[in-house]
Amino acid sequence: MTTSAAQPSSATATGEGGERYFEDFAVGQRFTSATREVTQRDPEAFTEISGDAHPLHTDPSYAATTRFARPVLQGPFGIAVVAGLFHDLAVVDSTVIAMLDTHWRYLQPIHVGDTLHFEMTITRCRRSSSGDRGVVNRHVALIDQHGQRVQEGTTAVLVQARETRDPSEDPVGCAFGTAAWGEALARRLEADREFGSATASWDGTFGLRCGEDEVHLRVYRGRVLEATRRAPLGATFTVEADELTWTELLTGPRNDFTHRAMRGQFRTRGSGYDYLRFTKALTVLVDNARSLATEETR
Amino acid sequence: MIHAQYSEIDGASAYVEQAGAGTPVLCLHTAGQSGVQWRHVIRELAELGYRAVVPDLPGHGRSEPAPSGPVRDLSVYADWCRSLIGALDLQRPYVVGCSIGGKIALDLAARAGSALSGVVAMAADAHNGNVSLRGLERELEDAAAPSRTDRTYYGTLASVGRSVPARQAELIATMHRREDPAVSTSDLIGWGSHDLRAALPAIACPAHLVVGEDDPWLDSEAVRWAAAQIPGACCTVLEGIGHYPMEELDGFAHVLHGWLAELGESVPREAVRP
Repeated sequence: MTTSAAQPSSATATGEGGERYFEDFAVGQRFTSATREVTQRDPEAFTEISGDAHPLHTDPSYAATTRFARPVLQGPFGIAVVAGLFHDLAVVDSTVIAMLDTHWRYLQPIHVGDTLHFEMTITRCRRSSSGDRGVVNRHVALIDQHGQRVQEGTTAVLVQARETRDPSEDPVGCAFGTAAWGEALARRLEADREFGSATASWDGTFGLRCGEDEVHLRVYRGRVLEATRRAPLGATFTVEADELTWTELLTGPRNDFTHRAMRGQFRTRGSGYDYLRFTKALTVLVDNARSLATEETR
Repeated sequence: MIHAQYSEIDGASAYVEQAGAGTPVLCLHTAGQSGVQWRHVIRELAELGYRAVVPDLPGHGRSEPAPSGPVRDLSVYADWCRSLIGALDLQRPYVVGCSIGGKIALDLAARAGSALSGVVAMAADAHNGNVSLRGLERELEDAAAPSRTDRTYYGTLASVGRSVPARQAELIATMHRREDPAVSTSDLIGWGSHDLRAALPAIACPAHLVVGEDDPWLDSEAVRWAAAQIPGACCTVLEGIGHYPMEELDGFAHVLHGWLAELGESVPREAVRP
């Protein structure tokens, strides 16, 4: 990756493949890479570079005695493939500042002969306090020729902004789980009769957690009194999921919260009883969060 | 013309609807629901030349509760179905069921397969689906089960497949809200605890397992696995369909008719013609 100052704005196409600044990324955007075939040269080169010469990667007769039956590429080879395919997309060639982190899971082995590509979803855009750059978090699934996910995870990148702005001026509709998002959501819930009716007999605080961000909404008899990072007594219950799940729920084609909850994509902490009492209220809340996200994307 | 009757089955009055004359097809409903789920299919099956038989299981719909209270063991329902088959003198019937009905069909196939023409088990695997037995036991106390009707309503909406128009999904969910929580929770305990895995290889009648790809209650791989354990069985994954194929698929009876024809032996000849 290269480090460079911002380029003239003629390089800021927003279509796929165009050079992008921080402002050109939006939560819910998807990128699909080109494909890359894994050849015999790959394990040889990767063994040489990494020094990981375990016979599982290099010796077919040894690999035949393992659960994999044949040699397997080193796990981090998959991450390297993602970096290469992302470079080929040429979306941040002159605007990228640094890669910040990678959280990764190895799901299936990669073998010579596989053809890989990735599907990337933008899950968070957060301008830094300096205002001239921002963190773009991405969920990446590395997929083989059978459509099977072989590796997946998240990786954040720091990207140059086109304009220097105070981060508080940025839209909050897709900053799921932050206090600012919670406040915008609370204003909508206050105005939503259905939410008021569904929570009219409730007194407590519920938490919404997206990745590392959590916000508490204090409710009394159907009114949302406050949205805050942490209520003094904590949350009665908290609903949590990773950034990708919230992104798909709130920017996807429909409100499928219950389906995702039944599939185990959301977890709860605290009082399960109060969580169940919120069955309808949470569906209404998700409707509101979806319009908040959509209206700001427009 | 649908013929309705009350019959004494295993010590309680059972409500059964029948239509048509021909090869009998016993149609079993899902947990907590009733034969009303088959209200369109029953007519269409009759038109296709079958004798469609649609009971309300004990404690459901218009049938009286089982004498010993809500049923927590699906083999009790399977035994009840055998009594019903005998009482109505159904000769070598097909059995088609959905959810607990699908699992009851598999149980019948495992224990009385030689007396059946075949089974179509929809939305059922041979193990425990995606339920928490501990949570269900807790649910039996009404005080521990808040938002019960909301959960049935939204849970049903979430279990209907993506291809189903919104109004139809809404109708299905609204009708499913008519349930007795004690009965449907017990049904689900039966669904989650009835392990048929070891019985599958001995199934002695043709079997077809069907699962909707949008069904959040089931892992389609578990259904494929179950089908692979049954000699000669096949498995169909329905695109855009959820947990209730007979309510979600337009013209379901014709689809079922195709499946029954593949199962073989005694499909109405008239109707088999292309």
